[in-house]
Amino acid sequence: MHLEHIYRSNLSIEMSDRKAELERKKAKLQALREEKDRRRREKELKDVEEAATRVLGGAGDRKELDELLSSLGVAPVSDILSSISSANSLTPDHSANHTPDSSLQPNSLPNNICVGKRKIPQLSVVAVQSTNIPPKETVLYTKQTQTTSSGHERDAHATDYYDEYNLNPGLEWEDEFTGEDEEGSLPHLGGFGSKLPPGILPHGLPQVKEVQPAVTAVEQEQAKQEVKEVRELSEEEKQMIILSEDFQRFIDRAGKIVERALGESVDIYTDYAGGAGEDGMDEKSHQRISLNRWFYDERWSRNRCVTSLDWCPQYAELLLASYNNNEDSPNDPDGVALIWNTKFKKTTPEYIFHCQSAVMSATFARFHPNLILGGTYSGQIVLWDNRVQKRTPIQRTPLSANAHTHPVYCVNVVGTQNAHNLISISTDGRLCSWSLDMLSQPQETLELHRMQSKPVAVTCLDFPHSDVNNFVVGSEEGAAYSACRHGAKAGIVDTYDGHQGPVTGISVNAVQGGIDFSHLFLTSSIDWTMKLWSLKDTKPIYSFEDSSDYVLDVAWSTTNPALFAAVDCGGRLDLWNLNQDTEVPAASITVEGNPALNKVSWTPSGLHVTVGDTQGKIWVYDVADNFAHPRHDEWNKFLYTIQELRNSQVDEELEKLNLSVSSTPLSSMSSISTTPLR
Amino acid sequence: MSNEVEETMKRIQSHKGVVGTIVVNSEGIPIKTTLDNTTTVQYAGLISSLADKARSVVRDLDPSNDLTFLRIRSKKHEIMVAPDKEFILIVVQNPTD
Repeated sequence: MHLEHIYRSNLSIEMSDRKAELERKKAKLQALREEKDRRRREKELKDVEEAATRVLGGAGDRKELDELLSSLGVAPVSDILSSISSANSLTPDHSANHTPDSSLQPNSLPNNICVGKRKIPQLSVVAVQSTNIPPKETVLYTKQTQTTSSGHERDAHATDYYDEYNLNPGLEWEDEFTGEDEEGSLPHLGGFGSKLPPGILPHGLPQVKEVQPAVTAVEQEQAKQEVKEVRELSEEEKQMIILSEDFQRFIDRAGKIVERALGESVDIYTDYAGGAGEDGMDEKSHQRISLNRWFYDERWSRNRCVTSLDWCPQYAELLLASYNNNEDSPNDPDGVALIWNTKFKKTTPEYIFHCQSAVMSATFARFHPNLILGGTYSGQIVLWDNRVQKRTPIQRTPLSANAHTHPVYCVNVVGTQNAHNLISISTDGRLCSWSLDMLSQPQETLELHRMQSKPVAVTCLDFPHSDVNNFVVGSEEGAAYSACRHGAKAGIVDTYDGHQGPVTGISVNAVQGGIDFSHLFLTSSIDWTMKLWSLKDTKPIYSFEDSSDYVLDVAWSTTNPALFAAVDCGGRLDLWNLNQDTEVPAASITVEGNPALNKVSWTPSGLHVTVGDTQGKIWVYDVADNFAHPRHDEWNKFLYTIQELRNSQVDEELEKLNLSVSSTPLSSMSSISTTPLR
Repeated sequence: MSNEVEETMKRIQSHKGVVGTIVVNSEGIPIKTTLDNTTTVQYAGLISSLADKARSVVRDLDPSNDLTFLRIRSKKHEIMVAPDKEFILIVVQNPTD
């Protein structure tokens, strides 16, 4: 504004000349606007100076002044000069436009005066001004870079507004220097103070608008070029990527998801109005037991006997199965443990673990959802973790005399969240309890001996529900034992002799309900029978003798107190409901191909039975709802059934006694013959 | 370790109805494939840009959200896309088989 003022005053003297010069300058400014910001300021100030000299008159003077200024133009001294002159002009502001005149007039030569006069009073001012300007410039440039990266989309109207400021900062400066406003009262402070805020704001923001689009455009172009350049990766690069851990993790994760998605065979386009409904479901629902699916992995489970089955306490759909070695492939690891998912229809294991020795038993570490424990043939306990990208154990117990040196056929985690132990028993009768935090040595060991201090060759183990101290084991000698871990009588408590061959499976009734049946347990044996026992009685309550082959495992239902499942070597799966019948199984099915069935386990829901065979296949059978779920009177009925069985057992014994009494001659004969030996 | 990658790929590929499996990096360049070269390059380029677009849609709708899986059902195929930060797994299957 004031500049125009000055121009106008000049018009009267040399209008056309001035205008032409101004035009030229402006054109020049337009071209070099951004780079020569400071330069322009100086030039404009120079104009003011020129104007001032013009008033004094004398084209020669102006020439000299121009020369002088151009020589000074490089240094900020010109700035100082101009600011000083403007500062001078501020004080007599109101009186006249040609303020410099009054200061210059006393001396005849204006340029000399400019230098000479300013030296004395304004030395101190010069120092202040010269320090002021450079920092402001640094502020301007740093602002520029900062906003370039952060401010992405500024409002268009705001930038337009600031843009004008940016384009003509000189104008704005002049405004403030000559200050017709209230700033005039404080020439230096006001000028400096008011310069800063507008100096920062307009310089920072407008630059954003001008620079940002240019940068993004360049980047986009670069990105496009890059894509075109790296169209194909070399084999080596591909291999590098494939071997990278990120890639492996990605494949692991994405592979699982895709497999699950692939497994879903839900046809979302089912048209009930159009197609004819298929039947066959009715037939299935009448069956008490029907095949649902099987788990088998060509690589990892073929020809491997299933040695144990366990269910994840946290994710009920996860099934852990341990496998023996595969004699056909000696190069593969001996021991394998697979985690299968019963929820998704995917046919491959969720996790694969293996170790050097055959895994004879495996269990989820109940309070650590990521840890899996295995007891091996070598006697080591191994620990796998499904969080690490590793199939081999992350920890294993040492093979020392303190721990197991015989095959570990049973592992079990007992206790509570804050106090739990891993219990493992090897076939030399040694029981170890471990803390999962320290597998270097067992917390305590216990030798399970029979009366004659003969070690018990333990083949199977079960704990009654929520019991940590008492447990039952089955042995190779054919006897079952109850034992306890702690107390004065730690070790074997009672012997339950009855089987003629090794005990293969043992199961304690674990159904919670009105009546506690946890004293009842079942044993299966190679002698083709299963026996029902009570902990309170060393004689079996009942013997199930329906099978015509080795009975390899037995398991109580998790929901129905009277229901249990048994598997035998001939590929038969029997479901017994003692409330319905004690003579013959309530439901029976022969597994396709008649494989020997080694393990049986119920799902936590009680609606499925899983069977592991010696070929490495796990079969999942659905159990009919009405069959699996107990009726409300099931407990009372079962109590009655047990009593009946006991009574009939007593009757049988009485009958036997009667028989022996009636056939005294024979028995006496035999007794006579045997007595001398005793 | 690359063994496991092969194993996973093989498992997926052996699944009934699966036509092809492709692993693509974030720039749309195929790293592993079971399809022929031209088809792979075509799928890789198109699907990765589609996945990018889908991801930006999900993120624009809710900045705290992210794309995790993309299934495209067509008359002939179903394309499953499992995107990640750096890679994309593409599985083409024939659901009618």
